[in-house]
Amino acid sequence: MAAIPGRRFPRPWRSGEGLLVLPALLFYLAVYLYPLSRIAAWSLFERGFTLKFYRELLDEPMYFRALGNTLEISFLSTALCLLLGYPLAYLMATTSARARSALMVLVLIPFWTSILVRTFAWMVILGNNGMVNRTLMALGLTGAPVKLLFNMLGVQIGMVHVLLPFMVFPLFAVMSGIDPNILRVARSLGAAPRRAFRHVFLPLSLPGIAAGCVLVFLLAVGFYVTPALLGGPGQITLATMIEMQINTFLNWGFAASLGIVLLLVVGGIFAAFSTLLGIGRLTGEA
Amino acid sequence: MNRRTVLKSSAALLAAPFLHIRPVRADKGELVVVSWGGDYDTAIRDLAVPAFQKNTGYTVKMDAPPENAKVKAMVQSGNVGWDVILTDIPAVLTLTKDTLLEPLDYGAIDKAKLDKIPKELQQPYAIGQRIYSFNIVYNTNALPKPKHPRDWAEVWDQKHFPGGRTFNFQGGIEPQLEVALLADGVPVDKLYPLDIERAWKMFDKLRPLVSKWYTSHAQAIQLIGADEASVGCTIGPRGITAKHAGAPIDVDYNQGKLASDNWCLVKGVRDKKIAMEFINQALDPKVQAGIAQRVPYGPSNGGAFEFLSASEAADLNTSPDNIKEQFWQNVQWWSTPGADGKTPREAQAERFAKWMVAG
Repeated sequence: MAAIPGRRFPRPWRSGEGLLVLPALLFYLAVYLYPLSRIAAWSLFERGFTLKFYRELLDEPMYFRALGNTLEISFLSTALCLLLGYPLAYLMATTSARARSALMVLVLIPFWTSILVRTFAWMVILGNNGMVNRTLMALGLTGAPVKLLFNMLGVQIGMVHVLLPFMVFPLFAVMSGIDPNILRVARSLGAAPRRAFRHVFLPLSLPGIAAGCVLVFLLAVGFYVTPALLGGPGQITLATMIEMQINTFLNWGFAASLGIVLLLVVGGIFAAFSTLLGIGRLTGEA
Repeated sequence: MNRRTVLKSSAALLAAPFLHIRPVRADKGELVVVSWGGDYDTAIRDLAVPAFQKNTGYTVKMDAPPENAKVKAMVQSGNVGWDVILTDIPAVLTLTKDTLLEPLDYGAIDKAKLDKIPKELQQPYAIGQRIYSFNIVYNTNALPKPKHPRDWAEVWDQKHFPGGRTFNFQGGIEPQLEVALLADGVPVDKLYPLDIERAWKMFDKLRPLVSKWYTSHAQAIQLIGADEASVGCTIGPRGITAKHAGAPIDVDYNQGKLASDNWCLVKGVRDKKIAMEFINQALDPKVQAGIAQRVPYGPSNGGAFEFLSASEAADLNTSPDNIKEQFWQNVQWWSTPGADGKTPREAQAERFAKWMVAG
């Protein structure tokens, strides 16, 4: 990757500066790491140490199917968000200030309504008698309603709608920090626009891609409402199974083991990715 | 138990780290009553609370929904913010198994009221307040009355009653095995003990007819109203509410499965006497009639029908005409543990999930 002008090498921390992260660290300890350790403990103890929850889980293929569904849904929505979000962020970063703020508002609008309302709205729009199908049939494009709901398509439409801003903003933040002069230099050295984009702009935007994908993927893994409402039996997620154990059966030990497995799998995926791609480099470190 | 509020609770789960830290600790002179939100809570507040307030000087603060997990977390942490909850029998059984409830004091309820409440609804840890039921709920445009399905066998018959079906999955509701057996011709008095394998065979037949396995009753009503499913098995009173609101929906009470939402005391309730007085007021026939006029669940107190018109009664699942077409869910059967220590409720919910995921 080309050296980025204007970027200084990180200097070592001065003593005392470390204190700046202390509040955040304590906050995390209290509200994240401590509860997480409790959940890990639930999954391993029931009147003494036990592996029975994990054994029960490993014995039942249903949970692997649900985990597979969860990962499939999450990868797909991350890819779709990137596909839709990249050009949008590019436009936002390169257009006039007025157009940019208009686009910004449009990206933010989905945040103004609750996820539940949005999901129900999709049911109305995408249903057999919904707006989309009625228009398609009125135009004679299809004789019978197209199945847009209660399958992967419905889930992806609902999830990408919710998750897109989480892709666009990190991308936009990184892209707007890219000095347009570099692209001009590339052009003046004879690179066609497409080549300048591929060899200069795209590599410089990689940290944004990495941040956006990480954010969207992590949020997608925890999604509960949208797959449950807009999906079919093929989109039953692990979150659904966890909810059932927690709320219906008060079987918190088992629910905890499901949660820990999900955490480990997602952690494993990240470890694999960062070794493969060098996430440190992608996030802009040196 | 989030029978009706998977959605609400999942939204709460999503927001949990940010919003749900606040414990609803009552102030002095305040009773915290936890119900399912919406119009029912408003009706309780308007109709049951005034007399309670007059008698005790206490005010009532309402919260929702009464999820099992929250009760457990409160009792375990010793920070009990709830006094009285309204919940269904499966939840009551789960909660009593974990000793999270306080026994009721029947001496604090007026004898005249108890006489009018069916004995099955008077349990040590729970007393019935309102009756819900799983009924045939259908779209009146797709299946105009009286050519709508009138029993479960007809719900299974897509040839004569076209359109998709919708049945529950998730949300803590067990699979509708009783309904499946009735569809297969099992007489209602021979339902229990349920012939599980026979019921699942009927579920295999149902699967291709279902356009969506709904996750909440709100979704079921939406699906039926929009004709995504022409008929489904969901809470009848919710169908009636939709009908009153002008949706093309109606309910056939025939072969419906009745069950109750009940008042319970959370273990560690601050003032049991005060809490019991609230329950006593909520069981008043006139109060229950008033509530049923606004939210059409069956009143548990039969005396309520003296305050309701014939047309109002016709839409209620516990009216004398409707109740005799239906049957009570045998909660005992669902909650008696088998050889492996699992109750049928647990085992069948697990089998349901497996069956669905493998689908």
